[in-house]
Amino acid sequence: MKSNDANYIQRLQRKKEDALEYIVDQYLPLIKGITYKVLSPLGNDGIIEECINDIFLSIWEHAHKFSGDSTDFRKWICAIAKFRALDYYRKNNKLAGLLSQEQEIGTGESAEDELIRMEDQSELIKLIHLLEPVDRDIFMMKFFLGFKTGDIAAKLGLSKASIDNRIYRGKKKLYDKATNLDFGGSML
Amino acid sequence: MKDVYELLNDMDIDEHEFVEMEVNELEKAKVKRALKESIVQKRKMRSWKKPVAAAVMVVGLSTATLGLTFPAYAVSLPVIGNIFKILDVGKAGVYDHYQEYSTEMNLTAESNGIKVIINNAIFDGETVALTYSIESNQDLGESPYLRGLLNMKGSTGGAGGSKISKVDSSRYVGITTETGFFKGQKPDTVNMKWQIDSIVIQENQEEIKGKWSFAFALEATEADTQVIGQSSEHDGVAVQIGELSVTPMSFIVHYDQLVSEEIRNKWHGVDVDIEVKDDLGNLYSGKGNGGTGDKEGYHTSWSKTFEKLDPNAAKLILTPQIRLYEYTSENYGSVEETKDGPQSAAIPEKSGKGEEKFKMEDIVIDLSNR
Repeated sequence: MKSNDANYIQRLQRKKEDALEYIVDQYLPLIKGITYKVLSPLGNDGIIEECINDIFLSIWEHAHKFSGDSTDFRKWICAIAKFRALDYYRKNNKLAGLLSQEQEIGTGESAEDELIRMEDQSELIKLIHLLEPVDRDIFMMKFFLGFKTGDIAAKLGLSKASIDNRIYRGKKKLYDKATNLDFGGSML
Repeated sequence: MKDVYELLNDMDIDEHEFVEMEVNELEKAKVKRALKESIVQKRKMRSWKKPVAAAVMVVGLSTATLGLTFPAYAVSLPVIGNIFKILDVGKAGVYDHYQEYSTEMNLTAESNGIKVIINNAIFDGETVALTYSIESNQDLGESPYLRGLLNMKGSTGGAGGSKISKVDSSRYVGITTETGFFKGQKPDTVNMKWQIDSIVIQENQEEIKGKWSFAFALEATEADTQVIGQSSEHDGVAVQIGELSVTPMSFIVHYDQLVSEEIRNKWHGVDVDIEVKDDLGNLYSGKGNGGTGDKEGYHTSWSKTFEKLDPNAAKLILTPQIRLYEYTSENYGSVEETKDGPQSAAIPEKSGKGEEKFKMEDIVIDLSNR
């Protein structure tokens, strides 16, 4: 049996390799587009290639967590691609900065911003669950998917100021929780 | 609590902001290859998805007589339960019932601080499957490669596969299978010899030399074999089902493919795979055991092992699937040994390009007189 439009999600979830081939055939152009857009400023094709492979591997490994139809699947893998690419960008950009000693000191980043950047995202995910659903979505869009505040506002039908406000309050809440739960040592 | 992938699943993002980029076939192939390297560590002689030149490994006939009884091995408690199930690639279920019918071996060999333990073994009359575990005093990477030979005495060749998986920093579990090809009657008992000469850490190619060797005999599980002889033909390719062999934990379908002159002139390669379902609607997952045949691989005798047969099934419905394909540098390589040293064979020009696939008419096997 081979994967086709009707069965590839199920086959992917059952870890059939031909389903992985199928999604590469179907979605590589899209995944490549997303990855290039985020990572091309780094000027390193090797990193882009690595990231693309990593995105497909993540889809393969986490396929069982997906639920929905083909349209949802497309959205899901777009989100994964964007999230992974941003992750690569942050890591490699930081590294490049350290190597060239050009890291600016005191760029005015708050402790809350650093919280978002913490290495161990699983801790951050735990914290995000403490937020209300709307704020959770805003945080996911803003920090995991790199959406601009304006786009988030348009999508949720809220004003830009209100999004900013929610982000500010959310960050503060997360920061307080993180400090209370004593995650501090590992993340800051 | 949801993880990031589940949270991303819940979000309704606008995917229209994303723009596709042009991708050529080579890029796709590169990504697929990188992914496969990451996810599969099994070696296969011949697979449905990615054919390589049929190279039947000839196992040298050993003059040493192997004892039929077990030599004295240290008994070691298995660390892991059902390795057959743990390592069932893709949860296909082919090995679901292997553990209960297998023989507990607990044979240990130790060398260089690394202990290799054969936990269970089973011979279904066709294929030997062994589960083993490794206890090591050092980290051997994600999937160490055991270099050595698994030898089925008396077979003229064999095909096999293996998979190994890390349990923690010092323990691994693995499964290895070996299908023997015999001239004439298949034996009821096989003498196996497994000698590992070194263990290679794949990540840095470090080779740890040592000597881990095992010799043991395995009796075939009870099998009910039925000669079928039914065939199906389509567009110059014929598939004949030879035998159906039902064991307590599996069933094995033996089949031959025959290819007409016309198809031979057009296509480099022809493969037949078989899908099996029964009259109750069960779809059986299977694992090809490889095959032997003529040099060009047109006339090949295959066998494929499927998961446990539903005892209530009255009919088996076999659907042969034909794949005709062109040899390219990507999927084919052949080296011929001559007296002047190895010569790589050129790929002859043929008119069939790319690949074509089609399904044949079903072959229905009546199980009621079993």
